[in-house]
Amino acid sequence: MHNDFVVTVENLSVLFGDFRAVDAVTFSVKRGEIFGFLGANGAGKTTTIRVLCGLLHPTKGEVSVGGIKFDTKDAEMAIKKKVGYMSQKFTLYNDLTIEENLTFIASLRKLDTKTYLKRRNYLLNFISFTRPLNSFIRSLPGGIKQQISLAASMLHEPEILFLDEPTAGVTPAMRARFWALINDLAHLGKTIIVTTHYMDEAEQCGRIALMRTGKIVAIDTPAGLKKTTFPDKFYEFEPRKTISYLDIQKLKICPEFEYFEPFGMRFHAAFKKSPEAEKFRQELNVDFNTKEIAPTLEDVFIKITEEKGV
Amino acid sequence: MSFVWSRAKAIAQKEIYHVIRDPFALALSIGLPIFLVIVFGFAIEFNVKNIHLAVHDADQTQASRGLIDIFGKSEYFIIDKVTSPEKAQQAIMSNNDRAALIIPGGFEKLLFTGKSSQVQLLLDGSDNSTVVPILSYLESIQKMANKQLANFNPSENIDIKTRFLFNAELNSRWFVIPGLTVAIMAILSVLLTALTVAQEWENGSMELLLSTPVQPLEVIVGKLVPYAFFCLVAVVFVYIISRTVFGIPFRGNIFVFGLGCVLFLVTCLVQGLLISILTRSQSLAYQIANMTGLLPAQLLSGFIFPVESMPKFFQYFTMLLPARWFMVIARESYLKGSTFFDLGIPFLALGTLCWFMIFFAVKKFKKDLEP
Repeated sequence: MHNDFVVTVENLSVLFGDFRAVDAVTFSVKRGEIFGFLGANGAGKTTTIRVLCGLLHPTKGEVSVGGIKFDTKDAEMAIKKKVGYMSQKFTLYNDLTIEENLTFIASLRKLDTKTYLKRRNYLLNFISFTRPLNSFIRSLPGGIKQQISLAASMLHEPEILFLDEPTAGVTPAMRARFWALINDLAHLGKTIIVTTHYMDEAEQCGRIALMRTGKIVAIDTPAGLKKTTFPDKFYEFEPRKTISYLDIQKLKICPEFEYFEPFGMRFHAAFKKSPEAEKFRQELNVDFNTKEIAPTLEDVFIKITEEKGV
Repeated sequence: MSFVWSRAKAIAQKEIYHVIRDPFALALSIGLPIFLVIVFGFAIEFNVKNIHLAVHDADQTQASRGLIDIFGKSEYFIIDKVTSPEKAQQAIMSNNDRAALIIPGGFEKLLFTGKSSQVQLLLDGSDNSTVVPILSYLESIQKMANKQLANFNPSENIDIKTRFLFNAELNSRWFVIPGLTVAIMAILSVLLTALTVAQEWENGSMELLLSTPVQPLEVIVGKLVPYAFFCLVAVVFVYIISRTVFGIPFRGNIFVFGLGCVLFLVTCLVQGLLISILTRSQSLAYQIANMTGLLPAQLLSGFIFPVESMPKFFQYFTMLLPARWFMVIARESYLKGSTFFDLGIPFLALGTLCWFMIFFAVKKFKKDLEP
């Protein structure tokens, strides 16, 4: 095993009865990396993460987390001690205060009072939390709750942090703030594995694994993914006049397009490599303002899932 | 991988926070025992007093008047004299009287000749609630009648089938309040614990517990201890009320009664836990807890309806209910002073049921919590 990798997964499969939630997945994560899982609901992101946190046993394959090989019951507990996990469900108790919630988790993790207070103050300072500690969790806004959740999952100073859709249902400002925290943590040397539905969040990951029906269909840096998915020029078209839905549908089935997708009022497109396609592209200049741009991750996501979906 | 008390303690403490901040749970654990004691102790009167009794005396002798006197002085009956047996029947038909006593001519004569004298008692069978108490009073009245009227030849005439040894006044409260302990424990413990694990699943906080190194047994112990405490407080409350307010004597060994309490409590708590583990939903857990905890404890345990008078099938069926066995233990140790060995069978049955319940709960819970 390479020393730099804190998480290695080889051929991991998880079966629920006959259902293959995770299907022969292989990847590894470096220390200090922000590693993102991108995919639709039910693609297997959460299941993969639950295995890595010791909450699920792998049906098949080799999993190693923080240098611990996940094969026995003892390993499960050892992994749980080493990692922090923030579930996509909000898991703190609404009828308990912040202090009570944190003390409870600290007790479950057998932290002594001194260590707990030190960690608590450090983490609350880290998330710039200033409200009174005896406020009830239910009285906090969603974004603050998520930050407390994050602090709660880090009380035992885990090396590796698993965040399952940490920003679901949170305002954009709070999302930005949360990601600033994630970046800070990575700079402090923590390894972060995160799932998300947001493309702008995925852009901030060091590497992304794209999942679809239990399989990893692509894995690379955001820039790398864009490059391999759209190796050639990529364009944005802005209609000079209003065009109808029917016109779009007609355009969409033109064989010269390698990729064509509405993007707000504009269109993102890539073309096949042929003289005809080049001619077709120039003809479009009549009706559209054309601009050469870099593809977004969303383009990558749509292209890849469409391709594999057929 | 050993059991860590500090973790169980943390869970217990958190559980107490939940209860004291949940108005429903709090109202249930404090209000319910008080409510039930008031209802069963004060409001519901199982004793039937002042029953109107139509009396036709065809004999008109000292002996017959003596018999009527005994009925009249018993406090249970109010005597309405009628002039013929038919009138007595009419009195029952018109609901003026609940029962009728018909003394035939020659009553005294038969008594003096040493033969058994017979009188006829008509009861309104359509009113089940008075028939049973009247019949039971009748036995003690018969006993008194024999003693007072049949001095001539006692050996022939005294025919006593039952003596109400342990509750001579046949005071229903004596019977009901110890039984109330059973009902309150069954409701509180099953209902409160049934909600607790389901709550954890519904909240999503089970994920939090699972992501820490906490073990299933620590969760079970941590969750059960606070509720066991609440229920024991309720039992002590009922005990004190029964001794002071109702003046019911405690004749048994407090340890026998206590052991029964603890055994029953554990069984009920684990039953609630099992429901919670199986349903994972609070509303479903609540309904099942009502059906398997509250209803059997009230209806099938012998609390209100004696097991002996149930249909054969239910007599056997109730053997599967912990509440039935604890009902026996509670009443007998309370009123009769039965020892542990007298109550061998109920204790054995309750112990077995308790063991089965724990066995299934731990097995299922472990399977659920392990990845």
